[in-house]
Amino acid sequence: MSNPLLIEYLPIIIFLAIAVGIASAMLIASLLVAKQNPDSEKLSAYECGFEPFADARSKFDVRFYLVAILFIIFDLEVAFLFPWAVALGDIGMFGFWSMMIFLGILTIGFIYEWKKGALEWE
Amino acid sequence: MEIAAIFLPLLGAFVAGLFGRFIGDKGAQIVTCSLMVVAAILSVILFVQIGFGGPEAARTVHLFTWIDSGSFEVAWSLRMDTLTAVMLVVVNVVSCMVHIYSIGYMSHDPSKARFMSYLSLFTFMMLMLVTADNLLQMFFGWEGVGLASYLLINFWYEKKSANDASMKAFLVNRVGDFGFALGIMAIFLIFGTVQFDEIFAQVPEKANATFNFLGFEVHALTTACLLLFIGAMGKSAQLGLHTWLPDAMEGPTPVSALIHAATMVTAGVFMLARMSPLFEYAPDALAFVTVMGALTAIVAATIGMTQFDIKRVIAYSTMSQLGYMFFAIGVGAYPAAIFHLMTHAFFKALLFLGAGSVIHAMSGEQDMRNMGGVWRQIRFTYAMMWIGNLALAGIGIYGVFGFAGFYSKDIILETAYADHSWYGTMAFWLGLAAAALTAFYSWRLLFLTFHGEPRADEKVMAHVHESPLSMTIPLGILAVGAVFSGIVAYPWFVGHDLAHFWGGSILMLANAEGETIIDAAHHVPGWVPWAPTVVALAGIGFAWLFYVKSPDLPGRAVASIRQLHGIVFNKYYFDELYDALFVKPAMKLGLGLWKGGDEKVIDGFGPDGAANLTQRLSGVASRLQTGYVYHYAFVMVIGVVALIAWFFLSAR
Amino acid sequence: MVAMPDLLPALPELFLACAGMLLLMIGVFRGEGSLRLVSWLAVGALLVTGVLLVLGPTERTVTFSGLFVSDSFAVFAKLLVLTATALTIILSQRYLETEQLARFEYPVLLVFATLGMMGMISANDLIALYVGLELQSLSLYVIAAFKRDFAKSSEAGLKYFVLGALSSGMLLYGASLVYGFAGTTNFDALAALFAAGETPAVGVIVGMVFVAAGLAFKISAVPFHMWTPDVYEGAPTSVTAFFAVAPKIAAITLFIRVLVDPFGDLLAQWQQVIWFCAVASMILGSLAAIQQSNIKRLMAYSSIGHIGYALVGLAAGTEAGVRGVLIYMAIYLAMNVGTFAIILSMRVQGRMVEEIRDLSGLSKSHPMMALAMAIFMWSMAGVPPAAGFFGKFYVFMAAVDAGLIVLAVIGVITSVVSCYYYLRIIKVMYFDDLTEPLERPSRAASLVIAGTALFTFPVFFIFSNAILTGAATAAASLFQ
Repeated sequence: MSNPLLIEYLPIIIFLAIAVGIASAMLIASLLVAKQNPDSEKLSAYECGFEPFADARSKFDVRFYLVAILFIIFDLEVAFLFPWAVALGDIGMFGFWSMMIFLGILTIGFIYEWKKGALEWE
Repeated sequence: MEIAAIFLPLLGAFVAGLFGRFIGDKGAQIVTCSLMVVAAILSVILFVQIGFGGPEAARTVHLFTWIDSGSFEVAWSLRMDTLTAVMLVVVNVVSCMVHIYSIGYMSHDPSKARFMSYLSLFTFMMLMLVTADNLLQMFFGWEGVGLASYLLINFWYEKKSANDASMKAFLVNRVGDFGFALGIMAIFLIFGTVQFDEIFAQVPEKANATFNFLGFEVHALTTACLLLFIGAMGKSAQLGLHTWLPDAMEGPTPVSALIHAATMVTAGVFMLARMSPLFEYAPDALAFVTVMGALTAIVAATIGMTQFDIKRVIAYSTMSQLGYMFFAIGVGAYPAAIFHLMTHAFFKALLFLGAGSVIHAMSGEQDMRNMGGVWRQIRFTYAMMWIGNLALAGIGIYGVFGFAGFYSKDIILETAYADHSWYGTMAFWLGLAAAALTAFYSWRLLFLTFHGEPRADEKVMAHVHESPLSMTIPLGILAVGAVFSGIVAYPWFVGHDLAHFWGGSILMLANAEGETIIDAAHHVPGWVPWAPTVVALAGIGFAWLFYVKSPDLPGRAVASIRQLHGIVFNKYYFDELYDALFVKPAMKLGLGLWKGGDEKVIDGFGPDGAANLTQRLSGVASRLQTGYVYHYAFVMVIGVVALIAWFFLSAR
Repeated sequence: MVAMPDLLPALPELFLACAGMLLLMIGVFRGEGSLRLVSWLAVGALLVTGVLLVLGPTERTVTFSGLFVSDSFAVFAKLLVLTATALTIILSQRYLETEQLARFEYPVLLVFATLGMMGMISANDLIALYVGLELQSLSLYVIAAFKRDFAKSSEAGLKYFVLGALSSGMLLYGASLVYGFAGTTNFDALAALFAAGETPAVGVIVGMVFVAAGLAFKISAVPFHMWTPDVYEGAPTSVTAFFAVAPKIAAITLFIRVLVDPFGDLLAQWQQVIWFCAVASMILGSLAAIQQSNIKRLMAYSSIGHIGYALVGLAAGTEAGVRGVLIYMAIYLAMNVGTFAIILSMRVQGRMVEEIRDLSGLSKSHPMMALAMAIFMWSMAGVPPAAGFFGKFYVFMAAVDAGLIVLAVIGVITSVVSCYYYLRIIKVMYFDDLTEPLERPSRAASLVIAGTALFTFPVFFIFSNAILTGAATAAASLFQ
C-alpha cells in the first residue's frame, strides 16, 4: 500500500465501505428484528394505497426524448457560455469569434430541427 | 523457307485446334491440308538444295537462345543438313498425304478439326525433332511426338481399349525416354555441352574416357550410347520396349500410317544416325544395337505371320523393318538405315493407308478372317496393296529394276554380310530369314483380304466400295514413291554419290583397308544380292500354297506345331510377362500408397484434415456471434482485460 | 490574449464543415426530393476538399495549439477517405431511391462523418482525436439505423451505438489514464516524454492499451469486432459499403498515428497487443466467413480479416510496415468499393437480394460484372497479379523484416484459408445455374465497378509506382 496513487483513492474505499456497511446493517437489522410473514398481498406493489392501475413500464411518446435531447444541447450551450463570458476579457477576439462560430453552428442545427418540425408537438 | 517448312504445320495445328469451332470442319481441313502441301513443297525444295548442293549447302538457322544457365547453353536452331533434309521430305510428304487421306477416311467422324489439329501438331513436333541442333531440342521434339502419339492413339477416347493403348504407349515410351534423358545427361557430363557440333568435335579426344560407376570403370561413350539406344528402343519399338506398337493400332488408320509406320517410330533410327559420330567410337554399343535389331526383325516377323488383325500384321511388319534399320546402324551403315527409313516410309504408309481403305470399304472391319474376295470391288486399293507388298518384300531383278524395298533391304543385308563380325553375320542370316517371313505374311495378308470366298456378312459385302478420291490420290502418290524411290535414290543414298550427298551429316569410320562399310557392301559375293529376292519369292510361294491353293493347310500346320504357334501367336508372352513383372506389382504398390499412404496419412492429416478442421473451427467462429449486445460487450471487456493481463504477465 | 491560430493547414476541413452545413440548409429548405441535388453537391464538395488537400502544405505543420497536424501521411489517408465517401455517395443514390430512403440527410451525414474522419486523421492530441472520432461515430450511428422502419436496421444502429459508446468509454478512460500519468495529452509532448528513455509508468501503459482497445473497436479488430457482422448485415447496403471502407481507413490511420507518433518508443509494449489483434482477426476473418451465406455478412468477416492483414504491417512498427498498411488500405478501398457496387446492383425484379446464391449464373447474365467480381475476389484472396497480392506482399515483407516471422506465416496460412470463400463466389458465378437474372446495374454503378476492377487489375499492376511512392512519402513523413 505504498503506492501513492492508491493512497489517493483511500477515501473512496472508506466511503464505499461505510455506505455498504450502513445499507447492509439496516437490511440485516430489519431481518433480525421484524417478524417475517410474507403473503401475496404484502409482496405486491402498491401505489398510494391503491391497486396499481397499469404496468409500471409504460410507453412514453418518443417526442419526449426529442425534446429532452434538444433541451440538453441548448443547456450545454449555456453551460459553455458562462465560463466564456467570465473569461472573455482574457481570450480576446479569437475567443469571441470562436463562440460566435459555435453559436452559428448551433443555430444551423436549430434551423434544421425547426424546419423538420421537431419543435411541433403534433 | 526453313522456318516456313517447319512452322506451317504448327500454324495449322493452332488454327484447327483453337479456332476449329469457328471455321468448321471443312475450314480446318482446308487450312491444315493446304499448309501441309506448302510445307511439303518447301521441304522438297530444301532437300534438293541441301542434298544435291554438296557438303557446303548444310546450314544452321539460329532462332533464339532457349536456356543460358552457367556453362549450360541451349539454343533453338534448325540444323539443316542432308540427314535433316531427308527426314523433312519424308515427314512432310507422308504427312501431307495422310492429311489429305484423312479428309476421306474421317468423313464420318464428328471431331474432324481436332483430328487435323493433332495431325499437324504431330508433324510440327516431328519436324522439331529432326531439325534439332542439340540434344535438348531433340528431346523436346521427342516428347512432343510422344504427346501427339498419345493424343492420336486415344483419339476415340470413348473406347476403353484406346485409353489403355494410349496409356501403354505413353508409359512404355517413358522407359525409353528416361534412358534418352539419362543419355543426354551423360553426354553433358562427358562433353559439357549438348550442341551436336560441339559434341562431335570432341568425340575423338574423349574416345577413351571412362565413368566411375559403383566402383566399376565403364567406358563413357559406350554408356552414353547405350542409354541413347534405350531411348531409341522405346520410340522405335525394339524388342523389349515394343509392346505398345501393336496396341497403338487402336488409333485411326491415318495415324498408324503417319506416326506408327512412317515417321515417329523411325525417330530412334534418325537419332542414332544423327549421333553417328558418337556411335562410331562405341563399338560395343553398336554390337548391342545390331543384336537387338536383328532379334526384333525376326521376332516381329514371326509374330506377324500369326496375327489376324490387318493393322496388327502391318504393325509387326513395321517393327520388323525397324529391326532392319537398327542392325544396319549397328554394323555402321547409317546411310543404308536412312535409305531404308525413307523407302519404308513410302511403302509402309502406302500399306497402312491401303489397309485403311480396305477397312473403310469393309465398314470398319479389321479382322482378316472376316474379309476375303473383295478384290473385284476395290481394284485400285488392291493394286496399291500389291505395290506396297512388292516394295515391302523387296522384289526386283538385281541390276535391272526393283521396287523401293528391294534396294534398301539389299544394301542393309549386304552391309551386314560385309561386316564379318559375329553379330553382323548373325544379323545377316536372321535378316534373310525375316525377309522370307516378310514376304510370307505380306501375301498372307493380301490373299486373306482380297482372295478366296467372301467371309463377311452380306450387309457388309453389299457396302463394299472404292474409297473417294481424297483417299485414292494419296495412295497413288505414295505408290509412285514405293515403286521408284529405291532406284532413283540409290546412287545418292548409298551409291557413288554418297559422300557428296551426305556431306558431314553422317560419319562412318573406315576399316583397316580404308573403305567404309558401304564400300565393303558393294564387294560382297555374287549370291548375296540375289538371296533376299529368292527367299522373298519363296515366301510368296508358300503364302500362295497356304492361303490360295489349299486353304486347309494353315490349320494342319498350326496343329502340328501347336506349342510353338501358341507362343508366337501370343507374341512370346511379352505382355503377360510385363503385366506380371511390372504392372501388377506397380498397381498393388500404387493402390497401397493411394489408400494407405495418401488417403489415410497425407490426406487425413493434410488437406482433408485441414479442411475438416477449418470447417469445424468455422462453425465455432460463427456460433460465437450470438446477436446479443451484452455478449458482445462482454467479449470486448474480456478482451481488454485479457490484453492488459497478458501485458502484466509478460512484463514480469 | 490568445493568438489567432493558423487556419491554412485545416482549410480543407473548414471548407468541408461549411459545405456540410450549407448542404444541410439547402436540403432542409428544398424539402423532400432534394437527395439527388444534395448528393451531387456533396460529391462536388468532397472533390473541392480533395483539391484543397493536394494544394495544401506538404510538410508537417501543426496548428490550433498543437491539436491539429497536417503532413503527407494525413493527406494520403484523407484522399483515400474522400475518395471512398464520394464513391459511396454516387453508388448510394439509386439504392436509396428504390428503397424509399431518399432523404437528403444521408449525404449530409456522410459528409459530417468524413469531416470527423479527417479530424481523426489529423489529430495531434488525445482530445482532438476524441472529438474527431465522436463526430464520425455519431454520424455513423445515425446512418446505420437509417432504414428506421425496419427492425434489422434499427437493431444494427442500436448495437453499434451501445457498443460504440462502450468503446468510446474505454478510449476516454485510457486517455484519462495517460493524461494522469504522463501529464499531457499532446502527441508531441508524449513522444518527447517517452523518447527521454525513462520507463513509463504502469498507468500509461494501461491507458495506452485502453486507447488501443477503443480504436480497435473502430477498425473492428478481434476481439472488438463483435458488432461488425450484425451491423453490416442490418444496416442498409449502401451504408455497409461506406462502413466497410472509409471509417476503416480513417481509424487505422489514426491507430497508426497514435501508436507510432506519441507511443512510438513504447513499441515493445504495444507490439504484442497488435500482434494478438492481427492474428485473432486474420484467423477469425478467414474461418467465420466460410459459413456465411449472406454476402454482406461475408464481407463483414472479410473486412475483419483484411484489418488483420493491415495490422500485420502495423505490428512491424517500421516505416516499411506503415507504407505497407497504406498501400494495403488503398487497394482495399478499390476492391471493397467495387465489390459493394456489385452488391448494391444485386436486384431481382425490383427488390434487393443479398444471398451469395443470388449471384449464381452471373457469368451468363452479366459477364462483365462477373468478371469484375472475379477480379475483386482474386484480389481479396491475394492471388497475383491482382492488386490484393501486392498489398499482402508488402505488409508480410515488412513483418518478416521486423522479425515477426510467425505472424507472417499465420497471415499466409489464413489467406490460403480465405481463398476458399472468395473462390466459392467465383464458383457460384461461373459454374452454378442461373436462377433469376439480376437487373441491369445503374450507369454510375457500372462505371464504378469497371473503374475499380481495372484499378485492381491491371492498372495497379502496371502503374503501381505512383501509389507506392505516395505511400512511401506518407510513411516517411510520419517517421521523421
